[in-house]
Amino acid sequence: MNQKELIEYIKNNFKGIENIKSIDEKQFSITVQKERIINILSFLKLSNFKELALITAVDWIKEEKIEVVYILFSYEYEQQLIVKTYIDRQEPSIESIKNLWEIATMYERDVHEFFGIDFIGNDDKRPLILHNWKDIPPLRKDFDSLKYSNTIFGKFKKDKE
Amino acid sequence: MELYSTKKLKDEGFEQILNFFRKKSLWMLHYCTGCGAVELPPTMTSRWDMERFGMGPMATPRQADLLLITGYLSLKSLKRVIYTYEQMQNPKWVIALGSCPINGGIYYDSYSVINRLALYIPVDLSIEGCMPRPEAIIEGFIKLMKQIENGEAVGYKKYQENYKWYKQNQDSVLKREFPVLSGEEK
Ligand code: SF4
Repeated sequence: MNQKELIEYIKNNFKGIENIKSIDEKQFSITVQKERIINILSFLKLSNFKELALITAVDWIKEEKIEVVYILFSYEYEQQLIVKTYIDRQEPSIESIKNLWEIATMYERDVHEFFGIDFIGNDDKRPLILHNWKDIPPLRKDFDSLKYSNTIFGKFKKDKE
Repeated sequence: MELYSTKKLKDEGFEQILNFFRKKSLWMLHYCTGCGAVELPPTMTSRWDMERFGMGPMATPRQADLLLITGYLSLKSLKRVIYTYEQMQNPKWVIALGSCPINGGIYYDSYSVINRLALYIPVDLSIEGCMPRPEAIIEGFIKLMKQIENGEAVGYKKYQENYKWYKQNQDSVLKREFPVLSGEEK
């Protein structure tokens, strides 16, 4: 199947999907509601999108939304598929997909650390990369990195010695 | 700041004789964080051949004299650098490569990269540049040898003398109990 046929196939077999766009000849994206994320991902996994390449997030501070992004890859069709969904920014939470792909445990742990998103069903919330972090998650747009750096590490001053 | 003593430290007397020999045989431990590590292989191998200065790479901290920090340090690696530094035997020296350990370099506003290494361990010599070329690194080595000969490279004595000050700085970044952003800008 080429990309066009693939988009047709998904539209025909998964009802209620309108937002499906081609990005270039090797990539296309789908936007779904938060409630349907597990359905669409398990459907895609069965239709040969076997690899979960990444989970990440984007903070849209003006729209008060956080976009959660799942990137899938299919070796059979040689296509990359980006599945997006929007969740509330104040209480960001979404169903975990660790039962579909086990590697999602790690990705969700990482996204939880950097965006503060709660993945329901994934209880592994231990910090992964940051050291002794007590502030708001650092990749939120309202986090002031320069001020943080100046506060903890000090502004550069000339040595007095 | 009052913890930092202003006492002038210098190697004198018998130490100076020892220094004459020490400077000719420096074993280097390189802590390859950041981008700087790529300049070391040409420095060590035949192209620039560091060995003609009597220097060689060493695998473990306890047998090394010189600690080379090759680039930016995140908080996690800073902790390991401090462990490594404290494991090394006296006399020991530290060279910081690149602008990142001096003032943060291009990571000046990063939330996880430290801005100034000299606050946490004593740095004898900084080589600026992003990244310094092997020529600059070798010039730095020669400068350090001169400093050792003149008895001026006394970073490890500073560390002993001002241990409280260094420890306080280390703890202030590694052992925070409150959110950072509620505090004052330094
Ligand atoms: S000084 Fe430049 S080359 Fe060196 S670690 Fe920093 S950014 Fe990388």
